[in-house]
Amino acid sequence: MNARETAWRLFSSELNTATYEIKGADEKSPSYIVTHLGAMVNRVLIAGVLTEKENVGSGEEPMWRGRVQDVSSGNFYINIGKYQPEAAAAIANMDTPAYVAIIGKVRTYTANDERVFVSVRPERIIKIDEETRKQWMLETAQSTWSRLKMMKKATSLENATEKDLIGLGFCERDAKGIVTALDHYDVPNSATYLKTIQYALRTILPDNNIDLGLPEDVSDLPDEIEIEPGDTAHNSADMEDTILRLLEELDVDGKGAPRDELERRAEAEGISSMELEEISNILMDKGLVYEPNLRYLKRI
Amino acid sequence: MSNNNQLTPLFEELKKVLEGKIDDDTLMKEVKKYVEDYGIDVDRAKRAIIKKYDTDATSSFVTADSIVKKIDALKGSEMNIDVIVKAIYVDKKEVNIRGTKKIIISGILGDETGTCPFTIWEGESVDLIKGETYHFKNAYTKMWNERVQINLGTRGKIEKADSTVDVPERTIPTSESREIKIGDIKEGVGNITVTGRIISTETRNINVKGESKVVYAGIIADDSGKIQYSAWNDYSLKDGETICVKNAYVRAWRGIPQLNMGDRCEVSRVTDNFGQIQEVTSKKTISDIVKIGGALDVAVFGTVVDLRTGSGLIKRCPQCNRSILNDECSAHGKIEPVFDLRMKLIVDDGTGALSAVVNRSDTEKLTGITLAAAEELAKAQSDMDSVSREIAQMIIMKRITIKGNVMSDDYGPMMIVKEASIDDVDVVTEAKKLYEEMEGAL
Ligand SMILES: [Zn+2]
Repeated sequence: MNARETAWRLFSSELNTATYEIKGADEKSPSYIVTHLGAMVNRVLIAGVLTEKENVGSGEEPMWRGRVQDVSSGNFYINIGKYQPEAAAAIANMDTPAYVAIIGKVRTYTANDERVFVSVRPERIIKIDEETRKQWMLETAQSTWSRLKMMKKATSLENATEKDLIGLGFCERDAKGIVTALDHYDVPNSATYLKTIQYALRTILPDNNIDLGLPEDVSDLPDEIEIEPGDTAHNSADMEDTILRLLEELDVDGKGAPRDELERRAEAEGISSMELEEISNILMDKGLVYEPNLRYLKRI
Repeated sequence: MSNNNQLTPLFEELKKVLEGKIDDDTLMKEVKKYVEDYGIDVDRAKRAIIKKYDTDATSSFVTADSIVKKIDALKGSEMNIDVIVKAIYVDKKEVNIRGTKKIIISGILGDETGTCPFTIWEGESVDLIKGETYHFKNAYTKMWNERVQINLGTRGKIEKADSTVDVPERTIPTSESREIKIGDIKEGVGNITVTGRIISTETRNINVKGESKVVYAGIIADDSGKIQYSAWNDYSLKDGETICVKNAYVRAWRGIPQLNMGDRCEVSRVTDNFGQIQEVTSKKTISDIVKIGGALDVAVFGTVVDLRTGSGLIKRCPQCNRSILNDECSAHGKIEPVFDLRMKLIVDDGTGALSAVVNRSDTEKLTGITLAAAEELAKAQSDMDSVSREIAQMIIMKRITIKGNVMSDDYGPMMIVKEASIDDVDVVTEAKKLYEEMEGAL
């Protein structure tokens, strides 16, 4: 049975700091990003303020990217391509700023320096009201708190296995996520997540002097980045290999590969023209390719 | 037939396994004897020689690329193992996997250390006999319902074992009847004892191998849930009375478990303290339902995260009520279609997701869009899809409670919704509750 992947409710502080990905063995089996709190995330349900949107594609073939601020300074990075027609149509008609909710798949992007960035590819993006945004904040705070509690329970045992955790009453999914997270990241620093919850509670209950007694300066958020849009989850090393292979295939007469042909083939491999541009620059920097003239690219 | 090229790897491997237990000359002689003189295939020869010379090998020994393990040593993540086990319960059935019909065999296996469910995914040409001992080769294991499950895929093989395996009585789940709450019943629980109140009764005539038989069926419930039952014998069950059923077993129909009262079943009348149970629809998380496979009359609370195609304004054949795309019914040809309104929702509660089919009146109630308004909108825009876009705007991100029966197919669980309502959470109260809990814990 192939049940649909659940949509995790999590804050950007948890999603954006995740770097470990379990890649599906084939197209049919899903990939998961594992967060420090042990969420195994394939799909998310997020909400916040759409602060920026930009069409970096064309009018005919739009490619939207945007930022959604969930709490405090936290941002989700979103990318909408041509395979998300409903989300693309919806974002085109939105003004910024606006409260939005997004259901989408998570994607990772590995930068040149090996840092991993996480973005969300919306399947749906819809306008919501302030009350619905608060509901999301509450549900996400509850969900984050329950992961923190599970993590605490799990770390009270030494080297807990999935079986141990299931014995403690964890469900299979949570047991696997937590053991994986502890293997790859070690015990999480709960202050980051508590601070996010505190911020959410302050937004919902502005008159209640919410104070969880945390040190004030906690900043584990990753650097701000601009994610290249594109329709695949290729990381840059994979794309480099693909481009190098295409350059060899297309170089039939020793003059190099014609740019337009390269672009067409790269597109077929799921690499957008923007990504191709960037990868070509990287390969030129690395001294692996050069431009014999403006219309050709050639492998050295 | 065989040559030294084939014997050398076998010899080397056995030498490693039997280190110090046999000298090279004797080992080579044995290898030649098994393979050349007796034409035994390499795998079997290896096992035979190891068995002969390695007295410790009975518990676990290394083979070409897998290891024979005992059931209690399985972790649920083995990629390639062998088990020598007795078939305790065997069920061969046809299933539908991504639109392809397939024969699979499932059931329960056991050895001296325990029992374990299994599935053979290529079951067409396999015949397992209950009570016989088999050697499962190149199997893999998974965790399923928090239990280890042995799986045999295309790479797997099954052979009749030479030896027999003793399964201690206490570990055979079918040997003793286990008491269970109705809400916890799922496929594969084995022999169970259930106490519940009869909610409804009916008799049905069915055809079994050309013979007409009467089935006594209905719904039985306790304070944890409801389940359909069927009995071959007439126990004269009446609405409202509470019975204790011993030695019942469970079969699932499209993921929904059903309680079967067979010939070995014992029924007695008891008194209960369930209180008023007819009114209660049990509330469940989606992950609980996914675990069981299906459920009768449950309530789920979650967020609408998507509206699937086939939602909105649809056309139906006036004669058979089938939904049709053009003005043509596959059964009734060209017809004048009637319009209807429905939603196919994805509802997600954070533990899992299910699809939910919502009928016209609930669609109107939840979205405020009536069938008449939808027809007008479609006409004005000359586009039926404009209705589903409008509905998506109204319904996605709404928190709803849906009630009905959940069935499963290969695409996951689906609820036919009998009742639906939008349920906003009291955010302020809930947030205060969370704050208090966190303050207390930190
Ligand atoms: Zn018809």
